[in-house]
Order: sequence, then structure tokens, then C-alpha cells
Amino acid sequence: MTDIRLHSNNDDDEVVRGLRSLYAAPSGDAYWNELEARIMARVADVELGWWTELDRWVRPALTAAAVLLLAAGVAMFRARQAETAIAIDSMLSSPAVPVSTAIRPALQDDHEARLRYLFGCNNQEPSCSAPNNKR
Amino acid sequence: MTAASTIELSYGMPSVSDAKLDERSLVIAAQRGSSEAFATLVRNHQRRAYAVCRAIVLTHEDAEDAVQEGFLHAFKALDRFLPDQPFGAWLFRIMANASLDLVRRRKVRDADELPETVPMPFRDPGESDELRRRLNQALTKLTDRQRSVIVLHDVEGFTHGEIGAMLGIPEGTARSDLHHARAALRRILKDVRSDL
Repeated sequence: MTDIRLHSNNDDDEVVRGLRSLYAAPSGDAYWNELEARIMARVADVELGWWTELDRWVRPALTAAAVLLLAAGVAMFRARQAETAIAIDSMLSSPAVPVSTAIRPALQDDHEARLRYLFGCNNQEPSCSAPNNKR
Repeated sequence: MTAASTIELSYGMPSVSDAKLDERSLVIAAQRGSSEAFATLVRNHQRRAYAVCRAIVLTHEDAEDAVQEGFLHAFKALDRFLPDQPFGAWLFRIMANASLDLVRRRKVRDADELPETVPMPFRDPGESDELRRRLNQALTKLTDRQRSVIVLHDVEGFTHGEIGAMLGIPEGTARSDLHHARAALRRILKDVRSDL
């Protein structure tokens, strides 16, 4: 029987020998070959998993998405800037329609009639009637 | 140079620096997607990886699980590894973390299930051996960390610094844990002997 010599100087050696026998790794290449095969089978599962393919595309996809977002942001900013500029321009520039065209032709005729009336036009002529009579 | 040719070259009389160079080439090849290179790394390191895991978890089965998880983590994190660093140290840290995770999960599960018996650290056909039985009993009295430290140091030959790096504790703590673990083992075994 193996006894542990606790009172001798070899206590630690004895303990270490015992520990080594307790924690000895399995012997035999067959065991290790099988363990290696199991490990590599799990690694292959990881390699072939869909997430690996996904992982490969994650970075390019994120980069592309970031570029698109940036481009969209710049485009929106520019569009808004252009709108603002147009609005300011339209406020500051002179009216596009000339003032003279704003006077109604009928009023112009009325004005001429009034002038003729005031500057000595003969009342007997049909064209010299007072402006109010025209209506 | 491909991983295969590197492996071929290493069949001669490799020196330490050759072995390091080979390992570096293997790591680079594995990082570039060579499954063969990664399989070679697994083959070269799995025994030591098992020993690290076995020192931390309680059973052989858990050590196997931790080794597989550890290699899987290593494979996923391989592109973040700098080939100029020692691959073994990096790998064993991952193994230790996988083992510690497993121990934590087991504790949560065991707390839920309230087991009646403490699992023995080793299940072995030759367990009738008196020394082993007494050691098994004594080891269950140590803390998880003390047990890991004494096994990693006295059985696997890791230095205090390496153990500290693996377990995420300062080197001094690893040294102190080792001292306390040895003292506790001696005391427990002495008590057992006096009972006989």
C-alpha cells in the first residue's frame, strides 16, 4: 500500500507524485487524435456557418451604408440651401411685371378722355364727351 | 513559405528558435485561413491545453469540454493575435478563461440543483490506490484557485508568473496560493493519517 510519509522531508515529493498520477493526461495517441478531430469538426462548423459569410460582408456593408447616408445628407443640405437662396433672391429682387402694364387699358382711355376734356375739347364732338358719360 | 513546407522542415532536428519560427509560420498560415495549419497548432498544444484546463476544472469530462471551447475561442480570435508573441501563453490564457467560465457555470447549475455530494476531482479505474483517495479527499478541501495553482505549478511546471497571467491574478498571489495550498494539503493529509 502506498503510504504518505507526512513527517519526512519527502512529504512534498510524495504529494507531487500523487498529484501527477491524479492529474495525468490520458495516454495513447488514439485519444488525442480523436480529440483533435472533435476540435477541428467544431472549428469547421464555425468556418462554414452563415455568420462567417455575414461577418465577411458586415464591414463593406456598413461602409457602403455610411457613404450612402453621408451622400444623402449632403444632397438634402444642398437642396435646402438652394431653396433658401431662391426664396431670398425672390424677396430682394424687383417685381417681374412692369408697373405700366398694371394700369387697366380702360382706365388709360378714361385718363385720355379726361385730358381732352380739360384742354379745350369741343363738347359737341362725340369724342369730347365727359369721362363719366362714357360709361 | 507555406505551412506545409514549414511542417516538413520541422521534421529534422528543430532547435528552439526553429520551433518558434515554425510556430509563427503556422500561426500566420492559420490566420490566412489554413485549416491544416490550425490543426497542427491544435496537435502541438492540445496536451498542454488539456493540462491547464484539467488543473482548473474538477473532472476529465469538463477538461475536455473546456479544451474544445478554448480552441474554438482561439480560432475565432486568431486574427487579433500578434504572431510575434508566444502563441502558447496566449492560448493557455484562453484555455484558463474557458475553464474558469465552465467552473462558474457549473457552480450556478450546482447551486440550482443542490447536489448531495461534492464531485471528486478525478474518476479513474485505479482509484482504489490509497494515496489517490486521500489526495482526492484533501483536494476537495482546497479552494478552486489553490487547487489550480498547486496543480499548474507542481504538476505542470508553470512558473508563478505564467500561472498569474493565466488565472488573472498577480504573481505574488499565485506564490502565496501555492504556499497555502501546500500547507493545507500537508495538514489535511496529516489529519487523515492520524485518523487511521
